[in-house]
Amino acid sequence: MNKHVQMLVFVLFLGFFTSILLVGMGALTEERIAQNEAALLQSAILDGFDEEYTFGNINDVFNDTVTVYEYEGYTFYRDDASGRVSFRFEGGGVWGPIIGIITLESDLETIAEITILAQEETPGLGGVVAERDYLDTFVGKTMEIDIVKGAVTLNANQVDSITGATRTSDAFEGILNTDYEDHITVWLANQE
Amino acid sequence: MKRKIFYTKPYNIFKQGLAADNPIAIAVLGICSALAVTNKVENAIAMGLGVTFVIIASSLTVSAIRKFIPAKVRMVTYMVIISTYVIVVQMFLEAYFPAIASQLGAYVGLIITNCIVMGRSEAFAIKNPVKYSIVDGLANGLGYTYVLIAVSVVRELLAFGTILNIQVVGDNWVNWVSMAMAPGGFFVLGLFIWLIRELTKNFEVTA
Repeated sequence: MNKHVQMLVFVLFLGFFTSILLVGMGALTEERIAQNEAALLQSAILDGFDEEYTFGNINDVFNDTVTVYEYEGYTFYRDDASGRVSFRFEGGGVWGPIIGIITLESDLETIAEITILAQEETPGLGGVVAERDYLDTFVGKTMEIDIVKGAVTLNANQVDSITGATRTSDAFEGILNTDYEDHITVWLANQE
Repeated sequence: MKRKIFYTKPYNIFKQGLAADNPIAIAVLGICSALAVTNKVENAIAMGLGVTFVIIASSLTVSAIRKFIPAKVRMVTYMVIISTYVIVVQMFLEAYFPAIASQLGAYVGLIITNCIVMGRSEAFAIKNPVKYSIVDGLANGLGYTYVLIAVSVVRELLAFGTILNIQVVGDNWVNWVSMAMAPGGFFVLGLFIWLIRELTKNFEVTA
């Protein structure tokens, strides 16, 4: 009996100790993590609109230049000066979700910029999907996008796939096209 | 004075973790993460530091409460302690180094399953005082980190022609895609383990 009581006390102590550690760390980092996430989203949108900002004034620049629209549960960000529209896309990659921001020119077809906010693809392979050099190959291309392997010449809607990461490339193509279709239908329906 | 340091217990523990009992090259532990994150040097450094912190912190905690841990639940206790510190590392990276946190993705969480961390708790911290457990944790963490960095330098160079994302080879370089993938990791790590064992004359003796 004594042993059981001892074990129970120990388990309670361990639970208390680890909870204190986690709650303490959570309290210390929670605000900063939320700020990082908000700043990441805002910077992805402002980059797409070619707006200049620093991490000190990002909030003000965002509020001054970006208009946020909410339609049928979808969120759109519009730069009234250039007419560019951004929205968030999200879908399943190989190991986890791929989440990002896509900015379209005022024709709502041409890609102005893509930024990845979160992904869990294989580092060095599928992880290339989040790298600026790769994402820049989408700029100027028109939706719907077609990610192809080893093409010598690329059409207006075609982009090279990532070497060694066919499944990530296929998943990324699917996510972009599906979310584009969903968002653009809602946006056009609400602009009339 | 110099002579004294070489004969102290902490020095010997430190040397063992780095060389004679190196967790990767000699004990062949923590191989999964060593293969997964070593295709880029920056990922190897971040992973190495994360694992080093978790080993030190968990060894310290296990050692401090070793007299109260009931033998029956000691494994579960290690898991709870290790998981807690891994979550702490994850929160810290997300708050202060969000770029590295997003690069490493799921692998930070997987430190929980790294055999070295639990191995040091069971083999050392549970029966040694706090000060030696800290030295042992540090030595094993650094022993893991330097092997990771050495392997990743070779892999990143061959797979991408870069080191720490800086181009170091000419434009005519053809990337070895297989080096970025798991088989490339096996080859380089295998050669590295062979080299270390050859240098330290560590051979398995068959009866």
